[in-house]
Amino acid sequence: MLAPSLLLLTLFVLVPLCVVAAYSFALRDSYGAVLPGFTLDNYRDLFQAAYLQVFVNSFKLAASTTAICLLIGYPVAYFIAFKAGRAAPALLLLLLIPFWINFLIRISAWVVLLGRGGLINQGAIGLGLIDVPVGMLGTYGATLVGMVYAFLPLTVFPIYAALTPIDPRLREAGADLGAGPAETFLRVTLPLSLPGVFAAALFVFVPSMGVFAIPVLLGGGKEIILGNLIVQLFLEFRNIPQGAAVSVLLLLISGVGILLYMRALRRVEAMK
Amino acid sequence: MSGQQAHRAGPGWFTRVFAHGLSGWVTLITYIFMLAPIVVLIAFAFNAGRSTVVWTGFSLDWFEVVWNNRHIARALQVSLIVAVASAAISTATGALAAVAITRRQFLGRDALGAALAAPLVLPEIVLGVALLVFMSFMGVTLGYGTMIIGHVLVSLPFSTLIVRAAASSLDLQLENAAADLGANEWQTFRMVTLPQLMPAIFTAFILSATLSFDNLVMSTFTSGVGTTTLPLRIYSMLKLGITPEINALGTLLVVANVAILFLVMGRYLPLMLKTSRR
Repeated sequence: MLAPSLLLLTLFVLVPLCVVAAYSFALRDSYGAVLPGFTLDNYRDLFQAAYLQVFVNSFKLAASTTAICLLIGYPVAYFIAFKAGRAAPALLLLLLIPFWINFLIRISAWVVLLGRGGLINQGAIGLGLIDVPVGMLGTYGATLVGMVYAFLPLTVFPIYAALTPIDPRLREAGADLGAGPAETFLRVTLPLSLPGVFAAALFVFVPSMGVFAIPVLLGGGKEIILGNLIVQLFLEFRNIPQGAAVSVLLLLISGVGILLYMRALRRVEAMK
Repeated sequence: MSGQQAHRAGPGWFTRVFAHGLSGWVTLITYIFMLAPIVVLIAFAFNAGRSTVVWTGFSLDWFEVVWNNRHIARALQVSLIVAVASAAISTATGALAAVAITRRQFLGRDALGAALAAPLVLPEIVLGVALLVFMSFMGVTLGYGTMIIGHVLVSLPFSTLIVRAAASSLDLQLENAAADLGANEWQTFRMVTLPQLMPAIFTAFILSATLSFDNLVMSTFTSGVGTTTLPLRIYSMLKLGITPEINALGTLLVVANVAILFLVMGRYLPLMLKTSRR
């Protein structure tokens, strides 16, 4: 019963990842074709200024997306878990709908909304906030809006799942012992929901590093991030050894993310 | 539902949201942020002109344009084939693994459970690149086969987790009774365990098919000549500029996806409502 899954994972995940790792040490000719041999050049080249800029861009975008998603997603999950009452299932379902709509179609809606003639500019002119349309498309802000839009549901669900099992008596006990709502939240609810927050951060941060369509469609492709770099190196420049090195690096970053997640989780468990 | 409850759910919802302070406000604004773009997108699918921002009158012309676009029809066909094939493989593989993990004791059981969930936290783009490099290394031509395998990797963690959750909550007495009555392991699985797992397997299939149908990243690296999926086609259309044709196509996809969502959730929503009423 286990044979099919083991075969799939070994043959199409484990072995291919090893092949990529091997290619990342391969020599290449000036056109990027793979030559036999061993070199660390593919990794050394990653320290060039152009590549370092890509890492900075990716980290900045992933970190700000994660932070904004958590700041918005937490109150939403809190509201659904404790205050929405019988509306909770409907609210969860409404949040699932955008999640199930093709993400390119959702991003295209933002391309239209943020455009010079788009509804946001029209509305702002109508309200007298601005006189001439503002070019929002092709900016970092537009990319960020698209990223948050794409990943926000992924933060609400794990936090909601961590909030609902919290025993209401614990929160009531806090209030009975004289804690105000803010203190009850900071000393009871928030610590108990941290595992959900960590999971949400992991679910947003890791995929954010590998995104390539949103920065192209909303950011105008000006700020290249790791995802774009990998697509370019493999599909446009056909520079497999260099692309393999970047892929290995992205894999390592994700691994570090997962380790940090597990460490944070253990620390929270130990606190209890 | 009592009259009092119905009244509370009625006109009072707005004040109720605002009575809840900050989290209520954030939730309201978030839902507008999440849903308004979709409403605007659908509205402009019915625009008469070429513009996606200036309303010039109602028409269904853009739906006709989508209907007559051979590229879209072809991409839809490719997407459906890949979605059904990958979902079938993913669900079957995931269900077998889920039953084995929940029913049997064996060395490395926890490790396997973690490995099956691993593609969930590994960046999909790296899995795609690895498959591309491996397939060209083996001399395999990219096409349906490579793309179906890629999509199985993406959906396998989900189908395994769904069936696993269902399998671990089943009453083991039924399976023990079957064994006591002389059924062997395979007979017990086929006649006792499997029928009870069918709702979860159905859900896993629908979710896997949806994930495949929407997939862009894995398809970017594993599709070959003549196997352009719908998301790949939409991506290249978007890079050229947006006409209401995209909106019309999007509207059709929204309707299809929401219909499927309700089909699946229809089984679980009454259950969720019941538990929330406790």
